[in-house]
Amino acid sequence: MEFLNYDFVQRGILTGLLIGASSAVVGVFLILRRMAFLGAGLSHAAFGGIALSMIIDVEPFLLTALFTVTVGNLIQLISSKRKVPADAVIALFFSAGVALAVILLGISKKLSENVFGYLFGNILMVTEKELIISLAVASFVALFVVFFYRNLILLTFNEEIAKLRGAHINLINHLLISVASLTVVVSIKAVGIILSSSMLVIPALIGLITGKSFRSCLFISMAVSFFSVLVGIFISLYYNLPPSGSIVGIMVFLFAITFVKKILK
Amino acid sequence: MYVVEIKNLYFSYDDSFLVLDNVSLNIKKGEFVGLIGPNGAGKTTLFKLILGLLKPLSGLIKLFGTDIRNFKDWKRIGYVPQKLNSDYFFPATVGELLNLTKGTRKEEIIALFHLDSLLEKQFLKLSGGQQQIVLLGLALSTDPDLLLLDEPTAGLDVHFRNHIIHTLKNFTVKEGKSVIMISHDIGFILNTVDRVLCLNRSLQYQGNSRDAIGVIENMFGIREVKSGIS
Repeated sequence: MEFLNYDFVQRGILTGLLIGASSAVVGVFLILRRMAFLGAGLSHAAFGGIALSMIIDVEPFLLTALFTVTVGNLIQLISSKRKVPADAVIALFFSAGVALAVILLGISKKLSENVFGYLFGNILMVTEKELIISLAVASFVALFVVFFYRNLILLTFNEEIAKLRGAHINLINHLLISVASLTVVVSIKAVGIILSSSMLVIPALIGLITGKSFRSCLFISMAVSFFSVLVGIFISLYYNLPPSGSIVGIMVFLFAITFVKKILK
Repeated sequence: MYVVEIKNLYFSYDDSFLVLDNVSLNIKKGEFVGLIGPNGAGKTTLFKLILGLLKPLSGLIKLFGTDIRNFKDWKRIGYVPQKLNSDYFFPATVGELLNLTKGTRKEEIIALFHLDSLLEKQFLKLSGGQQQIVLLGLALSTDPDLLLLDEPTAGLDVHFRNHIIHTLKNFTVKEGKSVIMISHDIGFILNTVDRVLCLNRSLQYQGNSRDAIGVIENMFGIREVKSGIS
C-alpha cells in the first residue's frame, strides 16, 4: 500500500472519486430521460473539440468544454422539436465530432502524438489543475442536483405535472445536458473518450436496478462508482494494467453480478 | 367569473387538419363536468391547451378570469395524466412523490385515499389501479381549485372505481372545487357528473346527462347508452 504515498496516486484517486460522483448522479437522470446514449455521443463529439483546441493551440479543457456543452445543447434543442428521434440526433453529432477529429488528426502532428491518451485516458496522470477542474465540475453538479432535485424527479415522472408544480422544463433540460457535457469532458482524462460513457451509464444502471427509492438509487450509483474507481486503480497499480480498463472492467463485473442476482431472484 | 372560459378555440398539430374546430365552453366554480368523445376527438389535446402545454391556432382561453398567456398560478390546477412519461425503472416511492409535490394537504389526502400502506412502495411496482389512486392523491394534495382528470378510473374495478369517485366527489363538492373528467366509460360518466360535454373536434353537446344520450349514440354509433343510465 506504499503507493498511496505517491502524489500522482493520491491525485488520481481524488480525481476519480470526484468524476465518479458527478457521473453516477447525472447518469441516473440521463437514463430516466431515455438519454443513456448521450454520454457516448458527447464524448465522441468532444473528440472534435479536443482536436480543435490542439490545432488553434488553446487551453484544451476550456475549448473542449465549450464545444461539448454547445453540442449537447444543440442535441437538446433539435430533439425537443420532435421532428427527428433523439437517439438519431445524438448519433449525428457523435459522427460529426469524430469526423472533425479525424480531419484535424490528418492535419496536426501534435494531436496524432496524443491521440492514444485521449482515446483511453489515464487517471494516474492527472495534473493538479485537472484535479481542481474535476472538483469545480463536481461542485457544479452537486449544486445543480440539490437546487433542482425536486423538479428533476418530477420531470422524469411526468412533464405536465412537473410544469404545474412550477418546473421550468426547457431550462432544466438544457442545464442537465450542460452538466452531463462537463462531466463527460472531465471523465475523458480518467477513462478516455471510448469509455467515458461507461462512467455515466453503468453505476446508474446498477442503482436503478437495485434501488428501492430514488434516494437509495442515487446512493447505490455513487457507491458503485467509488468502489470501481478505488478497486480499479489498485488493480491497475498491482498488475500494471491501464486504469481506465480496470475501472470500467470492475463496473461491468458489478453489473453482471447484479443482473444475474436479479434474474435469479 | 368562470374557472375555465374558452371562446372560439381552434387547434391543429400540423396546420393541415383541425383537431379542435371552434370550441367554446365555460366551467363554473364547483362544477363536476364529464368530457366524452371518440378516440381522436381532441379531449386530451383540449386538456393540454388548458394546461398551457400547447398553443392554440386562435381563440381565447381564460383560467380564473386571466388570459392563459398571462396565467402564472399553475398550482391552482391539479392534473391526472392519461399516460406517464416515466421509465419502467423509475425508482421513486409513493412517499417520495408526495413529498416532492409539496402538498399542503398531504396528510389529509393520505388518510382519505388510504395511501399510508403504499408510502414505502415504489410507484411503478403498484398495480394500475393503485397508481391511479396515487396520481389522484398527488393532484389533490396541493389543494387545487380545478382538477383535470384524464381517464382517472382506467384500470379500476367497478366497486373500487365507484368508491374513489364517490370520495373524490364528496371532497370537491364540499370545497367548491371544479372538476373536468375524461372517461370512455359512458354509463359511469353520465351517472356521475353534473354536466356533460360531448366533443368530436367541435363541441357536439353540453348539458345534462339525460339529454346527452341521443348525441352520444350518434357520435359513437351505438344504441345501448340509455340502458346504462340509472
